[in-house]
Amino acid sequence: MNHSRHAQPYSNPYLTGVGLGLVLLASFVVMGRGLGASGAFANTAAGLAAATAPVRAQASPLFAGYLSADGGVWREWLIFEIVGVAIGGFASAFVAGRVKLAVERGPRMSLHARLVTAFGGGAVMGFGAVLARGCTSGQALTGGALLSVGSWLFMIGAFAAAYVAAPFLRRAWL
Amino acid sequence: MTAPLYEYGLFGSATGLVVALGIGAAFGWCLERAGMGSARKLAGQFYLTDLTVFKVMFSAIVTAMLGAFWLGRLGVLDLGRVYVPETYVVPQLVGGLVFGVGFAVGGLCPGTSCVAAVTGRGDGLALVAGMFAGVLATGFAFKPLAAFYASTPRGSFTIPQLTHLPYGLVVLAVVAMALGGFRAAELIEARQAARRIDR
Amino acid sequence: MNAVRALALVAGALGLLSAVAGSPYRQQHVNVDVEQLARLVTREDDHVGAVELAKWIKERRAGLRVVDVRPAADFDAYHVPTAERIALDSLVATPFRADDTIVLYSEGGAHAAQGWVFLRALGYRNVFFLRGGLYEWIDVVMNPTIADDAPPSEQAEFARVSVLSQYFGGVPRSGVPRPTTDGLSLPTARGDTNDTDSLVRRVRRRGC
Repeated sequence: MNHSRHAQPYSNPYLTGVGLGLVLLASFVVMGRGLGASGAFANTAAGLAAATAPVRAQASPLFAGYLSADGGVWREWLIFEIVGVAIGGFASAFVAGRVKLAVERGPRMSLHARLVTAFGGGAVMGFGAVLARGCTSGQALTGGALLSVGSWLFMIGAFAAAYVAAPFLRRAWL
Repeated sequence: MTAPLYEYGLFGSATGLVVALGIGAAFGWCLERAGMGSARKLAGQFYLTDLTVFKVMFSAIVTAMLGAFWLGRLGVLDLGRVYVPETYVVPQLVGGLVFGVGFAVGGLCPGTSCVAAVTGRGDGLALVAGMFAGVLATGFAFKPLAAFYASTPRGSFTIPQLTHLPYGLVVLAVVAMALGGFRAAELIEARQAARRIDR
Repeated sequence: MNAVRALALVAGALGLLSAVAGSPYRQQHVNVDVEQLARLVTREDDHVGAVELAKWIKERRAGLRVVDVRPAADFDAYHVPTAERIALDSLVATPFRADDTIVLYSEGGAHAAQGWVFLRALGYRNVFFLRGGLYEWIDVVMNPTIADDAPPSEQAEFARVSVLSQYFGGVPRSGVPRPTTDGLSLPTARGDTNDTDSLVRRVRRRGC
């Protein structure tokens, strides 16, 4: 997985942000909708649940919504979009020599502890994203740009909670 | 020709899925370019050492917001047909608070975790797995949450509608806030850098 | 001046302009070609029958949107399966897809017919309404009847409609005397707790 080129530095955040904004705008213009990520997770989870425990999956009002979609549970825009995210993310990293097997963690974290916090943080975000009908991509970015009240509430809540939690997590990152 | 193209029937849902792939690829490319696939970089936002998250997010929001406003104003985009995510006041605020804690603990968000995972980061993979676990658990234990989940609905509800201010004025306020925020971010980062040199 | 500074300036300028630029939303363009509308009405291309609507719903026709324009309480009491409730004044602000098939219905059909005019004026092409309203749905789909002396063609049609009816939980009945009016006949109260009787009772007669 190592390449001859050295890892290049990241691009200017403002310029990349504008690029991201143009991608979001393109989505508005072409599809009439914005981006998302957690929705793809929820949709996939519904599909997996239906495949392994169909009765219980149908009994969940959350999953049932995804399962009754036109064209079936897998024919969902967000699922294709998130696959694209993986492809694009890999392509960018590959071109910049930034693909490498690693577990990113703070200097005081063991590998094991980091994997546990990543899993745990993900689980908590999964719950939060279901309640909020989205995450930073679907709510903060998309809803933010479209001035949706609920999206801005989500964004403010998320940033506030993260800043309040951060001092208790110094050991994980600093 | 007016937009959104899909809403005006220019192409069908199958092509829409191909578009999804393309837009997703551009999205993932931009995220990785900015370093948003790096948990340490993202966490730096909350210790005020690396404010990339804020800069990228709000540059994107301002760009898309101004673009949508002006394409709408010029009649190129039918803004009324762009899907605005529905507002559920309390669940989204609470969901945000919960999400923020998870974000501080995990260091990546759902979209960036995919970028991290696919570029070889084990923590990204672990976070993806955790997200699935969280969503599955929430889904199976959903019945007691259902009432709360559906509470305080407002439909598609924008800040201009809430405040009865002209849309363009709200746009200006967001732009002003973002530009001010960028200035502050540069000052904060410069001070942090100076402190590190002094140490 | 570097690129970031330039972009910040552009953003600031556009932001200031936005504040005085007016609304970013489209104005409603209404085109009422009355001759065309009159032609559609005469050719009966403006409405669908309840059986056809039932078929469309059962086959999950792509882009089908069944719209109930009655008040919320009536909608909650009973509505056509898969229908969504949109009041007339919200209907004209609802963005439908250009190629959606929109079927409007109301209690008796008058409000739905008005909604048809509005949506066609806004430019939607595949708009229809249920001419007999919810009463037609209940009478023809949920509670189809046939007399014993009906000709074979009618019997065949009744058989087809019965299958549809049962799909929606309706109760086909045979051996019912032919109705004397050509309009909709309400089932007589015979003390039976027929589902359709209670259905009709729940559709409170109030107007259009």
